[in-house]
Amino acid sequence: MSSAAEQFLRDAATKSADLVHREIIRRNMDSYEAAHQRGRSRIKNWEAARRRCQEIKREAIEHLDKYLLQFEEKVIAHGGHVFWAANGDEACAYIKDLAVSRNVRTVVKSKSMVTEEIHLSPVLEKVGIKVWETDLGEFIVQLRNEPPYHIVTPAMHLNRQQIRELFREKLGEDIADADPQKLVALARRKLREAFFAAEMGISGANFLVADSGAIAISTNEGNGRLSTSLPRIHVAVTGIEKIVPRLEDLGTLWPVLATSGTGQPITTYSTLIGGPRRPSEADGPEEFHVVLLDNGRSSLLANAEEREVLTCIRCGACLNICPVYRNIGGHTYNTTYQGPIGSVLTPHLRGNDFQHLAQASSLCGACSSVCPVNINLHHHLLHNRRDAAASGNAKASERAQFRLWRTAMLHPGLYRLGGWMMRRSLRLLYGMGLAGTVFDPMRAWSRKRTPMPLPAKSFRTRWKEGLEKEEQGRGQVGNK
Amino acid sequence: MATSNPSREAILARIREGLRTPAPPMEAKTLDGPIFEPVQNPLERFQQECKANLMECQVTADASGSAQVLAQVLNSLPAGEVFLQDDPVLRRLMENSGSARQLQWSSQGGPAETAQATVTLADALIAQTGSIFVSAACGGRGASVVAPCHIVYATARQLVPDLVTALRTATAQGRLDNHSFACIISGSSRTADIEKILVQGAHGPMRLVVILETNS
Repeated sequence: MSSAAEQFLRDAATKSADLVHREIIRRNMDSYEAAHQRGRSRIKNWEAARRRCQEIKREAIEHLDKYLLQFEEKVIAHGGHVFWAANGDEACAYIKDLAVSRNVRTVVKSKSMVTEEIHLSPVLEKVGIKVWETDLGEFIVQLRNEPPYHIVTPAMHLNRQQIRELFREKLGEDIADADPQKLVALARRKLREAFFAAEMGISGANFLVADSGAIAISTNEGNGRLSTSLPRIHVAVTGIEKIVPRLEDLGTLWPVLATSGTGQPITTYSTLIGGPRRPSEADGPEEFHVVLLDNGRSSLLANAEEREVLTCIRCGACLNICPVYRNIGGHTYNTTYQGPIGSVLTPHLRGNDFQHLAQASSLCGACSSVCPVNINLHHHLLHNRRDAAASGNAKASERAQFRLWRTAMLHPGLYRLGGWMMRRSLRLLYGMGLAGTVFDPMRAWSRKRTPMPLPAKSFRTRWKEGLEKEEQGRGQVGNK
Repeated sequence: MATSNPSREAILARIREGLRTPAPPMEAKTLDGPIFEPVQNPLERFQQECKANLMECQVTADASGSAQVLAQVLNSLPAGEVFLQDDPVLRRLMENSGSARQLQWSSQGGPAETAQATVTLADALIAQTGSIFVSAACGGRGASVVAPCHIVYATARQLVPDLVTALRTATAQGRLDNHSFACIISGSSRTADIEKILVQGAHGPMRLVVILETNS
């Protein structure tokens, strides 16, 4: 087992037993669930909306080269720059060199999971650039020096008292009653200084619109607006898969993204940016750069079976509904993208060390049932399990157990004998009070739970008896 | 300055190579009918959605009514400068409002950090979502986000039924060919990042006021 997998199991065990954490997440998820249901009821035909979004994103991915080139041509024609980065290092180096060459001292960032993926902030901080996360949730986790907990709500794991404590310690002001309104006002005051001081704004993009050469950003707070309006340089960092063919496609994608993300009919600011400010415009950055990141996405594209994973619009709905995420929380995954989509995607982006995440699922299919672009997520988790087994990364003990099981399945007499021995030995063991100890082969289950009751007869016997009874029953009915 | 792009061709080649293998076909499914409820009465729907978005929509009959509403809104704000999109329509409206505030026009640059309010026009109003559609032509980028109060002066003739219509029109008019920025704004700035409790005025305006004139 890889050290990442061992760490995952340890953290999952700790987090799922943390009652304060459970309560915070339960309240957040209940609130989301109610808003999500209300939002869905506002859309006349939700299934048709999902289907339309699936078709749009699929068309984009199936013609990815064509639409990326169309997007690039437009951006350049509007005076912008497009940089194609094969990996995170190339993307970070481009942005760092750009910042250094333009004497940038302060950067304001609006929320971007891709910049988390490539670990951009430490690279800029290393050359002495101050980086401010300006989304409130991101700002909070930045002050705590930890990664986002959730792709949409980065500080979901904290309650107001914890945030009050954090602000008191890091910002030097105490909001005695921990009133969210006052906490937000404090963050607004602090970040406003940064917005007006920064020379560079860095954003992500929810969509890249091919026919317009524009990036589309959805935000509620307005930090994305300020980060892309006030500094003299704007850099948008985004994955190549964010492309959509036409501007009018956003007429469906925007409401569906907002409904799935937060339950809103549309986010407060649905922004389109297609270049630096024009000479006739009152304000806006003088330079506009788009960094198109591959970082494993083209390899995923080549995997036709899993290609549809690239159609994800990062709404977070699959995280919110996932029973595993709800119990172990976002940080346990130790990945940029958490929950079902993260478990599917991360092994493709970061390699075999994350194959264990395919097991972080009950395969209940709840994630697939809410996905707004109909990605068959639990099916892809099964694919990843299969690939992990095929790559020979399974534990030696697991491989031995499956070999044993295979032999038993091919020899019914052996299977019967094994079942008989297991029932008897477990009854003896449990009778001696050794359930859940190292002597118990069912320890993985019973060390933290009541042992499962042992049946008196094997399934095979009970099945046979049931069939005989059924036969007798039929006979009696036939005799009447 | 041309951007040096050493990985561009390699990425495009990988994409083309990857797409040689076709993806499994989509599940056949026919879903008839409109996705969104068609908008029957755009003015009524717009007002309803504005309310849901916690926006203030003040319907006026004519220009003098609009000037009066503008004066009322400005009077309710703390002392300080007002930033306006430099447009003859707004110059007239401001003059008729009788406000004595210090003014800054978009022809002089973007809004100052200390601006108490911004006043702009809109490219369109969207009934389906109660949104205003602005572009860089509406006083620039900061005009709709820097000050604590954003006031939009629009007419009922600018109403379009839904988002798709608004975006199709924007494409047909080349809005993003002619301007570097556009935004569909559906309420004041807000956050629910702390315990999912809604707080207005996260970084941008705490108030978004639409003065909607019906008889222009």
